[in-house]
Amino acid sequence: MSDHPVTIKAVHPPLPERLRELVASDLGSYVLAVVLIVLPLLVSGSWMFAIGVCFANAIGVLAVSFLVRYGGEVSIGHAFFAAVGAYSVAILDTRFGLSLLVSVPLALVLGVVTGVAFAWPSRKLSGIYLAVSTMALALAVPELINNTDALTGGYEGLYVSKPLIPGLPMSFQRYYVALAVLIAVVFALARFRHSRQGLTILLSKAHPAAADAFGTRQVWARCAVLGISGGIAALCGAMLAFAGSTVSPSGFTLWSSIFLLVGSVVSFYGLTLARALIGGAFLTLVPQFLSASGAWIPVFYGLALLGMILLGHYLPRLKEMMARHGGTA
Amino acid sequence: MMDVATKSLTGQGIALSFGGIEVLKGLDVEFRAGEITGLIGPNGAGKTSLFNCLTGAYHPQKGAISYAGHSLEGLPPAARAQKGIVRSFQHVALSPDLTVLENVMIGVARNYHSGWLHAFLPTVRGRHEKAEMRADAERALAELGLAKAADKMPSELPPGMLRLVEIARAIVGRPAVLMLDEPAAGLNNSETRDLMRSLSALASPDLVMVVVEHDMDLVMSICDRIYVLNFGAFVACGTPAEVRSNEEVVRIYLGSDDD
Repeated sequence: MSDHPVTIKAVHPPLPERLRELVASDLGSYVLAVVLIVLPLLVSGSWMFAIGVCFANAIGVLAVSFLVRYGGEVSIGHAFFAAVGAYSVAILDTRFGLSLLVSVPLALVLGVVTGVAFAWPSRKLSGIYLAVSTMALALAVPELINNTDALTGGYEGLYVSKPLIPGLPMSFQRYYVALAVLIAVVFALARFRHSRQGLTILLSKAHPAAADAFGTRQVWARCAVLGISGGIAALCGAMLAFAGSTVSPSGFTLWSSIFLLVGSVVSFYGLTLARALIGGAFLTLVPQFLSASGAWIPVFYGLALLGMILLGHYLPRLKEMMARHGGTA
Repeated sequence: MMDVATKSLTGQGIALSFGGIEVLKGLDVEFRAGEITGLIGPNGAGKTSLFNCLTGAYHPQKGAISYAGHSLEGLPPAARAQKGIVRSFQHVALSPDLTVLENVMIGVARNYHSGWLHAFLPTVRGRHEKAEMRADAERALAELGLAKAADKMPSELPPGMLRLVEIARAIVGRPAVLMLDEPAAGLNNSETRDLMRSLSALASPDLVMVVVEHDMDLVMSICDRIYVLNFGAFVACGTPAEVRSNEEVVRIYLGSDDD
């Protein structure tokens, strides 16, 4: 019936062609990554520290955005998974003297396991009901940490000091390790979007019955999304522990979870490097910029949030208008 | 080797009711491999309910369903899909986040089994799998004349084309049982004619194809056998010529002088 010839692309395009496609598809992210790599040459130590923590928070923002994009759900409890990752790194560092090479993979695994463990009993919940049930996780974190103080250090927390590469300045390691993990997460998520699992999970979000009819059970999709999201959030926690050098219950409260959601919203649930950094900046850098504003901090912070959301909302329309004017000029 | 005649989808005594209302009244049905079977009847006759029972979306209170002699009892839709029993939907069910090509690739996903590592990392196996899925999907789209729409988003296409994309998704994985729920809904005359040719070309000795459709020209043209359903019970079954001459069918579709 077709008048169009069947065109089947080569299974393995030549490597240079693949590289060209890869670079052309996301040039902005590559430029941004290069800028971030050379940035420590231009900024002072305190800013380097803050930007390292911003990278860690950007990973947490990605975790929440992943849940929204692939599961169609929101969470106000992701600080729980971040705490799992942070305390995995801190406990293995202080109690067992193990480096990030061991603790970060373990944090990732524990994040995935706790994510799936939460997904299974909550598999029938959605919308506001799921969001509120995630809140229960966030509320439990500080108490869980304080009641296991022999291991977690309780209120005082733990200090993470073991370098990944002995001999290199810790300040540079805290910055570059967090950046490397952030870039790795962005890269992995970009791959995932085009994978078999990514495609079927996206169909399951829009039409669960259709996904079911093609072999993807809704329960599997829910567990997969929360497992991956929990794993990414645990990586966020692991990097918060390493880049921020300390972990304590005050870093993983309900407010921490809410700010991760705020970061996700201002980044418009984007899963690119730039979007994740915008979200991370609202958790770390924007409050630091506003620190001289005294009592006005919450007001200015709210205005910054509003400004960002309006900018994100109207920018595509402005671009469209400018393109139209450019086209007719 | 299994005889083609035994590769049929059968239902015996299928009964389904919702809140005391009998939707299906003990239906016996056999959809044979190598044939295109039509399932027709007025709105509310129970066609989609029977579809849902056969694909596992509904579980009938009574009766047995089997494919190629193996019982499908208790199997959810995803498990039946793994056995090659796939369907299209009365209302288009594509993901708005995916391109047309990616939506069609989902239809073949069940045939691949690479692990999570390949989903996140640029492994050779993962790349190979994606390229194969892509090639299969491009072939299915081309078969239905949709090659040029591959990179478009569903929101950019008219309803008739979306319907064809759904069919491409259903056929891409080389199903054993293909169940199409109103495939011609929303298509214009030319698209319907193309669809008829395409479905006829798809028929093969191993494939069980079932079509629920209101377009009588399509059903009478492409189907080898037709079941006519009314108020949850079959009123006729036979070749298109036999069904067309059945008085009860004529009465249901055209109404009698007494009505």
